Amino acid sequence: MLDAAAAAQALSDAAGAARGFLGIDPVAQNCALIAAELTRTGAQVCRAGDALVGYAHRPSQPRQALVASTSARAEPVATLLSFLRIHHRSTSFLALVPAGSVTIAALEGCGFRPAGVLRDHRYQSGGYHDVLVYFAKAADTCRS
Amino acid sequence: MMLRGYRSSDSCLLSGPWLDGELAGLPLADWPALADRCTVAPPSGPDEEWCIAPGAGFVRYTELDWVHRRARLETGLQPGHADAAGPLLQAAVAYGLRDLNLHKLHGWVTPATGVAATAAELAGFRREASVPDGIWLAGRAVERQIWAVIRPD
Repeated sequence: MLDAAAAAQALSDAAGAARGFLGIDPVAQNCALIAAELTRTGAQVCRAGDALVGYAHRPSQPRQALVASTSARAEPVATLLSFLRIHHRSTSFLALVPAGSVTIAALEGCGFRPAGVLRDHRYQSGGYHDVLVYFAKAADTCRS
Repeated sequence: MMLRGYRSSDSCLLSGPWLDGELAGLPLADWPALADRCTVAPPSGPDEEWCIAPGAGFVRYTELDWVHRRARLETGLQPGHADAAGPLLQAAVAYGLRDLNLHKLHGWVTPATGVAATAAELAGFRREASVPDGIWLAGRAVERQIWAVIRPD
């Protein structure tokens, strides 16, 4: 588990792979801003090998966690989901992923299913891009 | 509908029998008598924009993102002003997309409240995503939807 400053630095180092990570954009935001945003949302970031995974609880539904990863591999996400299921009693998970992100493979490998498309939700490289919404019930996710 | 800025004398409009963070925060008819009313903190920083419909309710632009030019919209109407939901959202969309120069406004709609999404549709919102178990309501987790309107550039 990384503190806010270390998490911000790690996300900045990941740069492109971390775009959209829990609403963070390391290309457009500096470390101080990322750390402040992580603190404001209560987000936690962990390192799992070469990947970063993170989560934040939704105030309106504390049993539902918003999750994110920088990797296309399913194992780091599966480990995070197991941690949330066992230690935080999370019953469902939500992920907001930029369209075309490598993370989609990891989420689908862990039992996430598409729940919608947020049109024109991100501005990048001179244009607006969609963000995909993925959802999974804890009972349907893979075990690490 | 005319909207104006928030004043401290408007604080009485910030609590009511609606769901927290709802796009069309209409008063719920079966709000439990002993349950606390939803209360929104008054404006406190530059990451929010507020408008007031005097005597009727509030409009809150939160999660303002000036890079992606979007904000999450939530409203709250006092009992007796449910019919103002449509004009309030239309005025909020006009102010958000034109005056704040945002590209997109989005918000939460909870179908289980029984409050129709008509007001949101009138203001140009469309459903974009459905989140099962998205909020805790009346002792169970219920679906919550994300609705959004995009500026027609």
